[in-house]
Amino acid sequence: MKENLLKFLKIDRRWIFLALAMILFVPIIKPIGLPNKTISKDVQNAFNYLDKVPAGSFVLFSLDYDPSTRPELHPQAVAALRYAFKKNLRVGIVTYIAGSTGLIQQLIEKVPAEAGKVNGTDYVVYPYMANAVAAMTQMASDFYGIYDKDIDGRDARSLPVMKGVRNYKDIPLIVNITGTSILDFWVAYVGDKYNVPVVGGVTAISQPGYGPYLQTGQLKGLIGGMKGAAEFESLVKEPGKGTSGIDALNLAHLMVLLLILTSNIILLVVRYL
Amino acid sequence: MTETTWLIAGAWVSAGLTIFLFSFLYKDNPFFKIAEHLYLGAGMGWWFQVYLYNIWKPKVFEPLAGGDFFVLIPALLGLSLVTQFVPKISWISRYGFTFMMGYGAGLEIPARLSTDFMSQIAGTIKPFSLMASMSGFDILNALIVAAGTICVLFYFFFSVEHKGSVKKISNIGIYFLMIYFGAAFGNTVMARFSLLYGRFDDLNTSAAASNFYATQIILAAMAAYFLLHSFLGKKEQAEEAR
Repeated sequence: MKENLLKFLKIDRRWIFLALAMILFVPIIKPIGLPNKTISKDVQNAFNYLDKVPAGSFVLFSLDYDPSTRPELHPQAVAALRYAFKKNLRVGIVTYIAGSTGLIQQLIEKVPAEAGKVNGTDYVVYPYMANAVAAMTQMASDFYGIYDKDIDGRDARSLPVMKGVRNYKDIPLIVNITGTSILDFWVAYVGDKYNVPVVGGVTAISQPGYGPYLQTGQLKGLIGGMKGAAEFESLVKEPGKGTSGIDALNLAHLMVLLLILTSNIILLVVRYL
Repeated sequence: MTETTWLIAGAWVSAGLTIFLFSFLYKDNPFFKIAEHLYLGAGMGWWFQVYLYNIWKPKVFEPLAGGDFFVLIPALLGLSLVTQFVPKISWISRYGFTFMMGYGAGLEIPARLSTDFMSQIAGTIKPFSLMASMSGFDILNALIVAAGTICVLFYFFFSVEHKGSVKKISNIGIYFLMIYFGAAFGNTVMARFSLLYGRFDDLNTSAAASNFYATQIILAAMAAYFLLHSFLGKKEQAEEAR
């Protein structure tokens, strides 16, 4: 019996890959609809901060993620942007990751049109800018010193969406969705220094690292990974890719738990029985 | 080519490259190598055009063409870094590096001291001055955070020999670190599954009839390749055995 049990521990790992692939693929073809019942405090805070910004205010979205973190961060950006438009906020989008530009293009082709928002009047997209810290520091004194033209080459100062916006004093909230350490820069060089509330959206991997900033209130709220995206979608009542991914994540986590439990039970049986 | 044709071609390339790269999980094969080399080559080319069109053109060429010669100063400092490749004149690169180090240190040190050092110490101590207005759970949370911080700092303090009570405290610090690593690992697993789900979701999109069943056809072709490869491999082995 022990030999048979030990065989299980030496199973060809490709079978595990295949099982995992099937478990993740099934909910895509036929969604099960497993509920996402918990809303974490940090996501709730992120929502609350966006929710309490008065209509007509200018909110800056720094979308700094590329295709490698798209599945986790794109749903967050879609949900947050949809809610900003729903709240009739003016939106400015900047990026410090060159790979983001295509994803931002995808975003603005879809989301503003759903809410009937007009480019230049309700939202504006700025071109990719190298050296995030230099750009953030410059924006503190003069926003247009670094962004004089939008992505379409229009004079930024003359756009209706930028009316009354000169520097961070005129921006009540910064939303940074990123798979990099750019959120650290927003906290250190802008949030702490100029007292601008910063809300983040990060990958699940980097989520635990932001605990200290959340505890001290340097970061007002945090959306973490696809789970965070699903929670934010629940709060804004707009189910999207985050919500549909919860089925797959739940099943995959169950599989991992089962494998860990089974392996440990087998090891205990082999050693002590 | 129309936009639709481009989109279909994109779906085929995307599905093909994804399946080629995932095929390595079964075993190494030429399709994986093709995708791997293509990724490296395309990545290099893409970055080159990013630097050219998003940095050099708007930040150097256009201002120069407009008569703003001040941009020559940062441009020359940047170019000085390239002299590293020519040993005889590599000393010139020191000017660029000096500027970068001075600028970086001046910007980083005050911000990091304030954000990551002073604010964190204040954040650990502050709750103890607000205990009267805090709930029992919040007080417990503040105590755990403070105890964790002190124990982990003990663990990383190497100027005192770790024995006796110092050892006990630093051992508790290890448990706090392990809890953090466990949480980080759990989140890493979740993140990897999310990324895999994202690729599968795209493969599902490429599998649609409007994309001429790109995923299914490429998957079937890969399966056929592995079957044929395995069959021919066995045949060769049998011939060698003879």
